[in-house]
Amino acid sequence: MSNNNKKWFSLNLGRKEKESSGACGCGKTSGGCGAASQSDQMTDAAFAEAAIHASIGEEKNKDGFEQVFDVKMDRRTAFKKLTASLLIGAGAVSTSCSVIGGDESKEKAQIDWEEQFKGNYKLMTDEEKNGTVDRLVRSYQLRTGKTISMSSKNAEEDVLFGYAFNISKCQGYMDCVNACVEENNQDRNSEMQYIRIHEMKDGKGFNFNEADDNYYHEVPAEGHFYMGTQCFHCDNPPCVEVCPVQATWREDDGLVVVDYDWCVGCRYCMAACPYDGRRFNWSKPEVPEAEINKNQHYLGNRMRKKGVMEKCTFCVQRSRAGKNPACVEACPTGARIFGNLLDPDSTIRWVLENKKVFRLKEDLGTEPKFWYFMD
Amino acid sequence: MMNRYNLKYIVSAFIMVLGLASCKHHEDEYHSITDKIEAEGKNYQGTSISSEAYIGDIKTIEITEGAHTFLIPERKSQIKSYACTECHIKPLAKMQNKDFKKAHWDIKIEHANENTMNCITCHNGSNMDELTSLTGKSIDFNKSYNLCNQCHTKQFQDWKGGAHGKRIGGWAPPRASMTCVNCHNPHDPHFESRWPARFNTQKVKERE
Ligand code: SF4
Ligand code: SF4
Repeated sequence: MSNNNKKWFSLNLGRKEKESSGACGCGKTSGGCGAASQSDQMTDAAFAEAAIHASIGEEKNKDGFEQVFDVKMDRRTAFKKLTASLLIGAGAVSTSCSVIGGDESKEKAQIDWEEQFKGNYKLMTDEEKNGTVDRLVRSYQLRTGKTISMSSKNAEEDVLFGYAFNISKCQGYMDCVNACVEENNQDRNSEMQYIRIHEMKDGKGFNFNEADDNYYHEVPAEGHFYMGTQCFHCDNPPCVEVCPVQATWREDDGLVVVDYDWCVGCRYCMAACPYDGRRFNWSKPEVPEAEINKNQHYLGNRMRKKGVMEKCTFCVQRSRAGKNPACVEACPTGARIFGNLLDPDSTIRWVLENKKVFRLKEDLGTEPKFWYFMD
Repeated sequence: MMNRYNLKYIVSAFIMVLGLASCKHHEDEYHSITDKIEAEGKNYQGTSISSEAYIGDIKTIEITEGAHTFLIPERKSQIKSYACTECHIKPLAKMQNKDFKKAHWDIKIEHANENTMNCITCHNGSNMDELTSLTGKSIDFNKSYNLCNQCHTKQFQDWKGGAHGKRIGGWAPPRASMTCVNCHNPHDPHFESRWPARFNTQKVKERE
């Protein structure tokens, strides 16, 4: 069965390093327990009972739900909530116990199972973070035969990310949008994009009602100016507050991130965001294999499932490694400036201290870390 | 009497506590992000993150301008026909006859107007390997920003600080920034208008 320090239940379905124990209990390490005698196999009911017990039974084995609510749940509610998961889990068990299933499909099932019952990334220890990242990498390898690299790098101390956007420089080329789509493995069909560039009429100020964020003509157009919006990584983010399952939160370096595997897709956060910073994916992001960015981060551009919330992460996979976000790098006009707000010698700090900067809807107290300025 | 005093004391203490508490957004200790940046940045010791690796093969030189020290790309090795004296063996005045091969026919000057600028506003006719300031002082090709900043003083200020121009590599130290001529063609410095990089066809459908 699971290690005692694990926060969620895991079955050892044919894992070689562990001896016979756990639900599959056939004692065989490969070849499927179908070969074992009938009495050694668990019935479906017994399996369900074991799974529920393991997931919610003992308080010391806090599972994902309890991590969040931190209350005792009665078995009936827990059972309801677990039904969907159990279906998948049962699938995993039947695969692992079938005679035909090879070692690989068993490993796949094992990974699926552990992924299904893992906890919230926000509450994981570093070891657990590595664990889930390793599983995701392995699972991708098993499914596609390709290797990706995925990071679970935490926020660095003494770093607080901030962004500045020069309205007088932006020419509306949208190179940033292109770079963002490619960097973050965004779905190609639905053309969901984290960044919007708004074309606004000179003399009308910031008027989003009359602005056009999907222009297609030579730019810059006479009598217009351009400005970009995306998630502003508010320091006091209202989107985080409303999430019923705490699937989105503010990291210590100021990035507001989403655990795609914990998000239930309720879209509360989207409604709570005053800046149109969040994007809901109505379909599983699909990217041609050759175009997939294989340099990934768990909280960033990894391949997500359908029906979860996505958004700009300031390219966490890049920024935590010391690179600029893809949009900053792609902008040919230098309108985008990124850096560490806590470093008094950083360029972003110079901009904040020496240019006339402002933010959108400052009076809301959301404290976005995204400033606009002019030459 | 004693009781009243006590009550007053308690009430005023209570109000003070309230006042203190109301200054805080949630558990946060700061009024605003600017306060927070200032306070938390005070004892900034640097981080282990470095952008050095991302500068890549670009050859850089370190410059110090005012309070700012940073890297810019080395220029001379990037100019195809440098050193200029490989062709310009004689001063410009003596080369203006038919005996010499025509050169630089592709250069068109679209920089200020003819009253203000021509070739020798920046190029030194008697020493082509160096640039020249408005007062005739020589300026190294590697530090050509000193030529630009004679007129574009505001842009120069912003560039030094980091508000104008682009970083090379990443946000972390060491800072490497593009210099003027890495983005602007000095003979034709403005940005061309062009079509946006993409058009979102789905958005059009959604909004029908
Ligand atoms: S811009 Fe919107 S999504 Fe981003 S942190 Fe602020 S409230 Fe949340
Ligand atoms: S959509 Fe996901 S991240 Fe947003 S509030 Fe719902 S569960 Fe939380």
